[in-house]
Amino acid sequence: MSEPHRVKVVAAPPALAIETSGLTKRYRRVTALSECSMVVPEGRICALIGPNGAGKTTLLRMLAGLAAPTAGTASVLGGTPRQDPAFLADIGFLAQEMPLYRRMSAADHIKIGAHLNSRWDGESARARLLGLDIPLGRAVGTLSGGQRAQVALALTLAKKPRVLLLDEPVAALDPLARRHFLGTLTSAVAETDGALTVVLSSHLIADIERVCDYLILLTRSQVQLAGDIEDLLAEHKVLIGPKKDTGALAATHTVVHTTTTARQSTLLVRVGGPLIDPAYEAADISLEELVLGYMGASAAPAYAGLTTVAEG
Amino acid sequence: MTYLTWRQHRQQALVALALLAAFAVLMLITGLQAAAQWHAALAGCSAARACGSLRDIFLGSHAVGFLVVLTLIVPALLGMLLGAPLVAHELETRTTQFAWTQGATRARWLAVRVGWLLLGTAAFAGAVSALVTWWSGPANAQQASGFNPGRFDIMGIAPVGYTVFAVALGITAGTVIRRVVPAIGITVACFIAVRAAVFIGLRQHYQAAVTHVYGLTQSFAPPGAAWQLAAGVVAPGGGRLSVSDGPAIAVNVSSVTVPASCRGLEDAATLSCMQAAGFRQFITYQPAGRYWAFQAIEAGIFVALAAALIAVAFVVLRRRDA
Repeated sequence: MSEPHRVKVVAAPPALAIETSGLTKRYRRVTALSECSMVVPEGRICALIGPNGAGKTTLLRMLAGLAAPTAGTASVLGGTPRQDPAFLADIGFLAQEMPLYRRMSAADHIKIGAHLNSRWDGESARARLLGLDIPLGRAVGTLSGGQRAQVALALTLAKKPRVLLLDEPVAALDPLARRHFLGTLTSAVAETDGALTVVLSSHLIADIERVCDYLILLTRSQVQLAGDIEDLLAEHKVLIGPKKDTGALAATHTVVHTTTTARQSTLLVRVGGPLIDPAYEAADISLEELVLGYMGASAAPAYAGLTTVAEG
Repeated sequence: MTYLTWRQHRQQALVALALLAAFAVLMLITGLQAAAQWHAALAGCSAARACGSLRDIFLGSHAVGFLVVLTLIVPALLGMLLGAPLVAHELETRTTQFAWTQGATRARWLAVRVGWLLLGTAAFAGAVSALVTWWSGPANAQQASGFNPGRFDIMGIAPVGYTVFAVALGITAGTVIRRVVPAIGITVACFIAVRAAVFIGLRQHYQAAVTHVYGLTQSFAPPGAAWQLAAGVVAPGGGRLSVSDGPAIAVNVSSVTVPASCRGLEDAATLSCMQAAGFRQFITYQPAGRYWAFQAIEAGIFVALAAALIAVAFVVLRRRDA
C-alpha cells in the first residue's frame, strides 16, 4: 500500500465501529464461538469470511444483541450490544433467512417500521423498491427470493443504521439477484458517505471482492487474517520455485501455506522484506488464493489431490 | 407497536367479532323466547295456584342449551389459538429477528402485544359470558342452579378470569417452548389441570360452608340458588353419612346403621323412630348470597396466576437468545 496512507493511519487511528475481545458463545454442548477477538474500523465494508461452522452467524447475532455472549465482551459503536432503543436504533441486522411477515406486503412492512423506529426513512425504502420494480402491495411471501432480499435490505437501510450486520445475505440468491442486491448495498453505502459500517458474512469471494474493502477471516472461531483488502493483497505473494528447504525464506517472510508437487513448491508468503531469492518466481495473489491459503485448503482443481502443508 | 399488533391480529379480531355477533343474535332470539315462555308459564300457574310442577317444564332448545354449555371451552380455545402462537409462531418463523432489531425493545414488543391480546380476549370472553348469563336468566330462576358447578363456570366474571389465565398460559408456554404445536398441547393440559385442581380443591373453601342440621321428618332447602355441597344423615354419635338424595333413601341403604328397634317398620315410621333415637339430617351448602364473592375470588385466583405466568414470559424473553 502507498506510504501516505500508512502515515495517515498512524497519525489518526480510525475509530472502531466494532471491537470484540475473547467473545465466546457456548450452547449446551457445542461451542459456537470461542475467544474471538477482532476489530472493524468505522466506515468500512467488512467481509466476514470463514468455513461453515466457524461462528460467523453467532458472532453477528451477538453484535446485534440478539444473543448474549457466554464470555468475553463485544462493543458496537462504543457500547455493549443490548436491548435498548438507543442501541437498537443504530443497528441494522439482516438474518440469513431474511425473515419477514410473509402475509404482509412491503408497504405494510414500511409502515410497521415507521411505528417501531424513531429514525425511519420509509420514503427511501419505497423509492428503492419501486426503482427495482418490486411490487409494494403484494404479500412478501409471494415475492421471489431476490425480491424478498431486496425488501429486507431496503427495510434494514430505512432504519438509517450506523452499523449494518448482514448474515450471508446473498447465499440463497441467483447470480443476477446477487448482483442487484450488492448493487443496492454499495449505492446505499455510498449515499451515507462513510458514516455506515457494514459487516457482511459470505463465502462467495467474487462478491466480496466487488463490495468489500476490509476482510476478517474466521476459522474455528479464531481470526486468521484481518485488515484492509488492498493492503493484504499487497503484503502477500505467491512464490513458485523448486522444492527445497524454506528455512532461509522464512527468516524474512512468513510462509503461510505451502503446496508441493514432486518437483516444485508453491508458497503463499506474507512479505516481510525484499524478495531476493532468484530461485522463486513471485506473483501477485488473488483474494481467493489468499483466503484459501489461510483456510489451509485449496479449491483450485489443478491442486486437488496434492498434499498441502499449512504452516500458518 | 400497537400498529404491528393490530396488523398481525386484525384478521383474527374480525373473525372473533363475527362469531360473537352471530352468537349474540342466537342468544338474543332464543333468550327472549325462553323468557316469554317462562313468564307465560309463571302467569298461568299463578292463576291456577299450581306452580309446583314449574320446575319440570322445558325452556328453550336442546341445541342452543348445548351451545351454551360449550362456552365452557372458550377460554381454552383462546389460549390455544391466540395465546400459544403469539410468541412461538414468530420464533418459529424467525420474524423475531426482524422485530427485535427494530428500534423498540423486546420487552416493549411483548408488553404491547400481550396487553392487547389479553384485553381483546378478556373482552370477548366477557361478552360471551354476559350473553350466557342473560340468556340463562329464566333457567336460573327456574332451576336455581346458577351456583352449581358447570353453570358457575360459564357465567359472571369467572370466564374472564379463566380466559386471561388460558391466554397467559399459552403465551408463556410458547415463549418457553418456542414451538407452536407443543405449546398448544401444554396449554390445554395445564389449563385443564389447574381448573380441575381449583374446582376440586379450592372453590368450596373460599368461605366456610354453612351446615344446617334438622329433623329427619322435616324438610329444608337453602334459599335461592345455593350451591349444595353435601347432604345426608347425622348419627346420634355425630358421625355423618352423606347421601345426596335425602334420608328416605338413607334408611334403605344397608350401610346406615338403622337401630334394631327401628327395623321392620314402614319408611315413615322408620324415620320417626330414628328421629326419636337421635338421628338427624344435615345439608352443607354455600348460600346463594355468596355467589358474586365466589365469582370474584375465582376470577381473582386465575388473574393472579396469569400475572405470574406473564412475568415468567418477560424474564425468559429478555434473557434467552432470539
